[in-house]
Amino acid sequence: MSTVTTTTGTVRTHAWYAPWLLCLPAVVFLLAFNLWPSVNGVFLAFTNVKPLSGGEIVGLANFERMLSDAQLATALLNSIVYMLVCVPFLLLVPLALALLVEKKIPGIAFFRTAFYTPVVASAVVVALMWGWMLDDRGVINGMAKSLGFITESIPFLTDRWLILFSAISLTIWKGLGYYMIIYLSALGGVGRELHEAAAVDGASAWRRFWTVTVPGVRNTMLLVSVLITVSALRVFSELFILTNGTGGVGGANVSVVMLIQMYARGFNGNLGYASALSILLFLITLGPLLLIARINKKAG
Amino acid sequence: MRLTTRTAVAATAAALLLSSCALSGTSTETRDPLDAEGEITGEVSLQTWALKPRFTAYVEGVIAAFEDEYPGTSVTWLDQPGEGYAEKVLSQATAGELPDVTNLPPDMALPLAREGVLLDLDQVEDDLAGTYVEGGLGAYAFAGLEGTYGYPWYLTTDLNYWNADMLAAGGLDAADPPTDLDSLIDQARTLKDATGAYLMSRKPGMNDLVSAGIPVLSDDGDEFVFNSPEAVALVQRYVDAYAEGLLPQDVLTDAYLGNSELFTKGEAAWSTGGGNFIAGVLENNPSLEGKIVPSPYMGITPMYVQGVSVPADSGNLPAALALARFLTDAQNQEAFAELVPGIFPSTVASQDNPELAESDGTAEGDAKAIAFTGLPDAEVLQPVEVTEAMSTVFDQQVAAAIAGQVPAQQALDTAVERCNRLLAD
Repeated sequence: MSTVTTTTGTVRTHAWYAPWLLCLPAVVFLLAFNLWPSVNGVFLAFTNVKPLSGGEIVGLANFERMLSDAQLATALLNSIVYMLVCVPFLLLVPLALALLVEKKIPGIAFFRTAFYTPVVASAVVVALMWGWMLDDRGVINGMAKSLGFITESIPFLTDRWLILFSAISLTIWKGLGYYMIIYLSALGGVGRELHEAAAVDGASAWRRFWTVTVPGVRNTMLLVSVLITVSALRVFSELFILTNGTGGVGGANVSVVMLIQMYARGFNGNLGYASALSILLFLITLGPLLLIARINKKAG
Repeated sequence: MRLTTRTAVAATAAALLLSSCALSGTSTETRDPLDAEGEITGEVSLQTWALKPRFTAYVEGVIAAFEDEYPGTSVTWLDQPGEGYAEKVLSQATAGELPDVTNLPPDMALPLAREGVLLDLDQVEDDLAGTYVEGGLGAYAFAGLEGTYGYPWYLTTDLNYWNADMLAAGGLDAADPPTDLDSLIDQARTLKDATGAYLMSRKPGMNDLVSAGIPVLSDDGDEFVFNSPEAVALVQRYVDAYAEGLLPQDVLTDAYLGNSELFTKGEAAWSTGGGNFIAGVLENNPSLEGKIVPSPYMGITPMYVQGVSVPADSGNLPAALALARFLTDAQNQEAFAELVPGIFPSTVASQDNPELAESDGTAEGDAKAIAFTGLPDAEVLQPVEVTEAMSTVFDQQVAAAIAGQVPAQQALDTAVERCNRLLAD
């Protein structure tokens, strides 16, 4: 066992427990704030526990309730539409942006910064700003009216689908820079010599994109699609703020996370049903992830 | 392998054991009334809700006076931020750490009282009815529970505010404002036709149904009943008004302050608000100075009650009760009301105070006087059983009706069904 002598004493560096000791803070943190809540959540899903009054085990009652929950059906539809629209946009547009700003030309740093700026802005602040812009008397409706394009305000924040697509646009706008940076990093790993060899062989820019660039960033695309899928299915801030926390007219714009928040909050929170919804969301998130992994395996 | 299996089983068992703790809930011990009769001394904690920094001097003054009155006592004051107060109180209650005297509005006191967390004041007080006004005390007496679970502290109410300039531009007179829904809609139409401006800018809430004399909850508090023909007819009035263009699109997804925000911006000519509403409006829009005219509320006037409760397991019950009484006595409440125009004492002795009913001739003074004189007939309109989630469900469905997506009857039926489900949870 090697030792190091210091001015304050002796530190044993190769004791069998040294790595465990070093990992201990992180392990304790993970157990307390990650693993334990997850295990507890699974358990609570089979109970009717309330914050103050406790409760009892109710078997599958919370899951049966889901079958007749019209709001849940709406929330699932919204989340799935969110995912289906967000994934292709955030998979391809950031790649195109990354290809554009990858070039080393004067002033390109400005564009890289500009594209990335929305990422560092608070989601809540950004959603509030979008809310003001899209409002009945907001900038967009005001300009469209003053230019004579419309006579009545476009109901961006009151129409069932316009709210959803406004929120999706916000998510895409805010996510472009983040995924662009990931692609930029991946593009750095695509050998320049491959592009040069393809060019020498007479390949067009389009063909080089499909035969050199895309295979080079395929794993990154997989990672990005996983990240987008998970975040799209768990959307909350955008819809919550654009609907002023109301979930939209008739509650048509709730997301699954909004429902979980609604049921879990307050003195009368139904922790059992909220936990069951969390498990459902987890399983739904798992589905597309497994599908993507399978596609990747086949393609590999 | 054997070790791994054993570890996994042990971990699962530990998790389930720990999880089962969540099923136990809070304790519901009955407190011996004699515990309240000890010497008033020692440490006691007081929790208020968002009073710092504006009212720090006032609360510290009350605490100093209490400590002078009862030598040997020491008050620890905790002031919680406005946001997330319910969550904070919930975590304190589940941990058994609720301060000895805690500011709790009736809707927060109800679930705590049901679980036996709060002391029933009827066990330890002889003359609550002679000390506090009926409306204030009634707010802390809950259906299905014996007793009173809070000392009423201060009361507020709502009244109407009109933008005199906007009304005048439409040929209307703020001195002769609408007094019911019919005249409100008529004047909204007149204003819209003349100037294109809005008078009305909110959809009906549960408060509006009760204010119009329409029951929201059954007498036994077991189910919602706001899908009655009367309720449908009232919502239909708003549906028609929206279809006529008398309400802005904002009403469909407005937040709580949507109506007053539009008024403050000068985009709607009517709002409801508390007795000190004008000061808040002028702070954000000084150009409305001299243009706001108050008038009494339409229908049954709403009353909002703040009070303080004492946990049943308080470690120093005599001092806790003494502090709660001291904080809510007539002298301290009147001093607070003087400091904050628009809030009023809940003590019987204060109701004859002429200063509270007099106006200094300003719109703010008129509002204070109207609010105070409206208090004797005011009622707590929204049942305390109504949670934030239930209000959201109601708003969603009423918005769907107003937008013309579903008939009013269907919207209220859906809202009743969903609210009943939440009530049964």
